[in-house]
Amino acid sequence: MIQNGINTLADSYITHPVAQPEDKMQFSEEAVAELEEIISHYPERKAACLPALWIAQREYGGHLTPAAIREVATRLGTSQTEVEGVATFYTMYNLRPRGRHHLEVCTCLTCAVMGAYDVVHALEHALDISIGETTADGEFTLSEAECLNYCGNATVVQVGDHYFPDISPSNCLNLVEELRKSEKYTPALLADSLVKIQTPGASLKGGGSFKAEEI
Amino acid sequence: MAILNLLFEHRDVEGIGNIDVWEANGGYEGVRKAAALEPQVIVDEIKTSGLRGRGGAGFPTWIKWNGLPKNYDAPHYVLCNADEGEPGTFKDRELILKIPHLLIEGMILAGFATYSKVGYVYIRGEYVEPAWQLRKAIDQAYAKGYLGKNILGTGRDFDIYIHMGAGSYECGEESALMSSLMGERGNPRLKFPHAPLPTVAGVWQAPTLINNVETYCAAAWIIKHSGEEYAKYGTEKSKGTKIMSVSGHVARTGNYEIEMGTPLMELLNMAGGVKDGVLKAVIPGGSSVQIMRPEQCEKINLDYESCGANGTLLGSGGFMVFNDKTDIVQLMRRTSQFYMHESCGKCTPCREGTRWLFKILDRIASGNGQKGDVELLLDVCSQIDGRSYCGLGDAAAWPIVGAIKAFRSEFDYWIEHKRSPIGNTFVPPVVEAVNPVLALTSV
Ligand SMILES: Cc1cc2nc3c(=O)[nH]c(=O)nc-3n(C[C@H](O)[C@H](O)[C@H](O)COP(=O)(O)O)c2cc1C
Ligand code: SF4
Ligand code: FES
Repeated sequence: MIQNGINTLADSYITHPVAQPEDKMQFSEEAVAELEEIISHYPERKAACLPALWIAQREYGGHLTPAAIREVATRLGTSQTEVEGVATFYTMYNLRPRGRHHLEVCTCLTCAVMGAYDVVHALEHALDISIGETTADGEFTLSEAECLNYCGNATVVQVGDHYFPDISPSNCLNLVEELRKSEKYTPALLADSLVKIQTPGASLKGGGSFKAEEI
Repeated sequence: MAILNLLFEHRDVEGIGNIDVWEANGGYEGVRKAAALEPQVIVDEIKTSGLRGRGGAGFPTWIKWNGLPKNYDAPHYVLCNADEGEPGTFKDRELILKIPHLLIEGMILAGFATYSKVGYVYIRGEYVEPAWQLRKAIDQAYAKGYLGKNILGTGRDFDIYIHMGAGSYECGEESALMSSLMGERGNPRLKFPHAPLPTVAGVWQAPTLINNVETYCAAAWIIKHSGEEYAKYGTEKSKGTKIMSVSGHVARTGNYEIEMGTPLMELLNMAGGVKDGVLKAVIPGGSSVQIMRPEQCEKINLDYESCGANGTLLGSGGFMVFNDKTDIVQLMRRTSQFYMHESCGKCTPCREGTRWLFKILDRIASGNGQKGDVELLLDVCSQIDGRSYCGLGDAAAWPIVGAIKAFRSEFDYWIEHKRSPIGNTFVPPVVEAVNPVLALTSV
């Protein structure tokens, strides 16, 4: 988790004000087209910073490297510091690699009183990691989330672009096993959904883990 | 007074998210009607209805709609606040997921009324599934000519774009939402009277209308039926219906659309009553409002006046019920953790104060409380409340002051006996923000 206001990345994020010689622009042709489409929704290029970071998160395999941030800054014609400021403000941008599945357990008010901490402890035990950590095989990252606003079905666990409701210490292990086999709900697919949703006409194509009709 | 499904009228119709089904159920009638109306007539209809904003503050909607310059000379924007982040609230999620066309209708009408050609729906990044439904609904509305150029041959244009957030409660605050929409960090901006109202200079310094999802949905209902019809329901100062998200220790959680003024206990009964115990407390309007004891709950009606008169707020309608096995101190510890995490860091009272609140509550709830900690909490709260740049600071202080007022003895018990008065129910993990070693290692 990134704590707002605390730069937890001091070690890996040394600001390079200009593109580095070793940087290679990595956005695919399709990604560039998507970005330009989204930019056209706003009166200025810079406004597309959030969606551009989502595209970058997908194109760079699920997390934002310094090079990804530099590419976004270059494409939007804004400064790297500005993009970095945005990337570090919002909790859903990954600044370090995450597991293939990122389990975000809501432990906010309702979920907490309905037993979310028991779910957290059960998952910690099953995956043999503490909250905030990633398993050695890179399969799972476990985090605590703030209210996911689906409180009627506490405890809620978000994995990628999907909410899993009514999770308890007993059924959370099934969830883990299911995810182990699943190609869906990955950080890159989450980013893909978030990009497609902002592209007119995309409901015909679908993106992420599911199409609109399947919800 | 009880359940009154106006906005939810067609919620359970099979396939209602599809435009054909929606039209077969009277969908887009309001838009067809409004296409023939002068913008001012639409605003007046909203005024007649008495509709107030459903995002939390209850500001009269028509005043905002009336506040934009009445011409097409410069760009105007219509923003929909779908950042729903208030703990305990999940009504906007269901509105978008199940009946996305109602929101689209509301925004088109707002566009007509305010001479705007562009609307943005700001949806929190976690709401991927509802946002997909809205994407599909918007695409269908374009295909049928309800959106785009020259809508229904009126010569009016209106486009709706979706803008996904990326995980920040603060972006629900309207000026922070505008910063975020402009591609910046979600820091709020100076407000009226120190800066112009959004209706004068909002996003990109252009006149801007911003409302909650439920507000637009209600506006769509009002234009389809009539302002007078809507004003028949509710109380004198709180008209119409409110969607309450019921969660916690109740038999049937979920969204309930009730007539304004319905007694709190009636809603509780409709939700099947308290589960696994007896009633200990209710938070009626989301985590930012004051917690109520059972004897207070008996007196409260769910409308703006009655909640206000009883020392709480209707807020966003996040109705959380707690049974007698709930530890109020631990609950407040978690509440303060939420505000600490979501504070945007722009102003000192909130950035530092929310951390102080959490640290004090954390030490009380881990059996390390010290004499005088309750007074210290109240002192810190008084320094945040009213001294913060935006409403988040106030919202961090209110629930804690409220909980101390209502359940003081439990705080004292924890401090004196170093354990929970009702038996410790959960062991929270260490929070990284107050543990610098963790903060550096576990991103
Ligand atoms: C910290 C904070 C968070 C807020 N979050 C939301 C939110 O998630 N959704 C919302 O509609 N309004 C939220 N609001 C209220 C908005 O600032 C604004 O009042 C509202 O969107 C106006 O719409 P309305 O007039 O339709 O209520 C929040 C306010 C504050 C201070
Ligand atoms: S009150 Fe909190 S959220 Fe609001 S501006 Fe200040 S630090 Fe940011
Ligand atoms: S408290 Fe967990 S979803 Fe709201």
